[in-house]
Amino acid sequence: MDIEIAENGAFGSALVHLRSGEQFVSEAGAMFRASDNVDIDVTTRSRSSGGIMSGIKRMIAGEHFFFSRYSVLDDQDAEIGLAPILQGQVTLIECDGDARWVCAGGSYLGSGVELNIDTQFQGLRGMLSGESLSFLTVEGRGPLLVNAFGTITELEVQGGLTIDTGHVVAFEDSLEYSVGKAGGSWISSFLTSEGIVLHFSGYGRVLVQSHNPDEFGRTLGPLLPDRNS
Amino acid sequence: METNIVGNPDYGQLHVRLGPGEQFIAEGGSMAWMDSGIDSKARLLGGFFSALIRKFTGGESLFVGEYSTGKGGGISFSPAQPGTVLQRTLNGDSFMLTGGSFMACTPGIELSTKFGGGKALFSGEGLFLMECSGRGELFFNAYGSVIERKIDGSFIVDTSHVVAWEPSLSYSIQGMGGIKSTLLSGEGLVMKFSGTGTIYLQTRTMPGLASWLTPFTV
Repeated sequence: MDIEIAENGAFGSALVHLRSGEQFVSEAGAMFRASDNVDIDVTTRSRSSGGIMSGIKRMIAGEHFFFSRYSVLDDQDAEIGLAPILQGQVTLIECDGDARWVCAGGSYLGSGVELNIDTQFQGLRGMLSGESLSFLTVEGRGPLLVNAFGTITELEVQGGLTIDTGHVVAFEDSLEYSVGKAGGSWISSFLTSEGIVLHFSGYGRVLVQSHNPDEFGRTLGPLLPDRNS
Repeated sequence: METNIVGNPDYGQLHVRLGPGEQFIAEGGSMAWMDSGIDSKARLLGGFFSALIRKFTGGESLFVGEYSTGKGGGISFSPAQPGTVLQRTLNGDSFMLTGGSFMACTPGIELSTKFGGGKALFSGEGLFLMECSGRGELFFNAYGSVIERKIDGSFIVDTSHVVAWEPSLSYSIQGMGGIKSTLLSGEGLVMKFSGTGTIYLQTRTMPGLASWLTPFTV
């Protein structure tokens, strides 16, 4: 398997090259092109475990209910092009089997079949931060594709880092996060519209997106007509 | 202080590295991530009344965030819209921004809102313009990429494409041709700039995106 990131600007996509017998999984609806020897199967399972409940849990995590699973039908090489809905960069994470990755805010695009995908309930933190109520966790060794709104920057957390809500794409499980205010007092935090931020602590990698899709929506929304008119 | 603009023209972003004791000012809500140990404080821009008016007419936040740090650290800012981030150095001169274009500045810059008058009301740019003056670095943002155009004489621009201009230029609002072509050409009102100076134009507009998305509202 070989994965190519096609564009690095506003319209990123991934091209997955599969050899005969290999499989790949993506969120439903992400495929925009495929060679004609690719078979697409819709499933609620990423690997062997899962089922309807895990599909429902994924929806709570801001992802799709279904996965699409691609397999090669004959002994030729095959390719699948995957693209996210939002404009922005697509990045490949090579999961090494040591650290578990956590995908926030619907950033999961696709993964190798050997990776196990589950959800992790965030509870009160998810409710307070305005991020989704649960995050997707990815475990195992293999390729993971994530997408973002804007450009993706990889930051190495060494001790502490503050990230505004809506900018987290994915992070290593070795990091802990808590929900808090940006600085000074709650009033000051509220008035600068920074409101609530996420404080990451520990050591590990975190991917952040340059732009916040919710904020873009809030800027664009008032320009749109009423739903009822 | 070090500032660095990355990601233009798709997803421009501003990275700032503050030295110990340095300050930086940015539009409320634009902070994306920062080192722990940086303090942010809300500050009212240019008096309560004008800040309030600006909030409801110019589209800029009522408050700006003032970032300071005792030991130094990095902050990254991004505007709400994808597009370009631009920088301009002010040496005691001034610069005009349309509503919503202000992003950040160093503490030496004065920000004041200017009532654009009836003509601004019709321009689709919001009622208030922002005049930036003083000494320091000013950062502003645009939707899409930016064309920098030197004007000597007069120049006509579709109103929603204007981001910023030098105050040596004056402008008036007018229709495109007669009433018929103003209403039917799809251009609506245009701004006519005259004088000598530079104007900054954005290649896409948010109202344009909104009208493209409108048929999809459910």
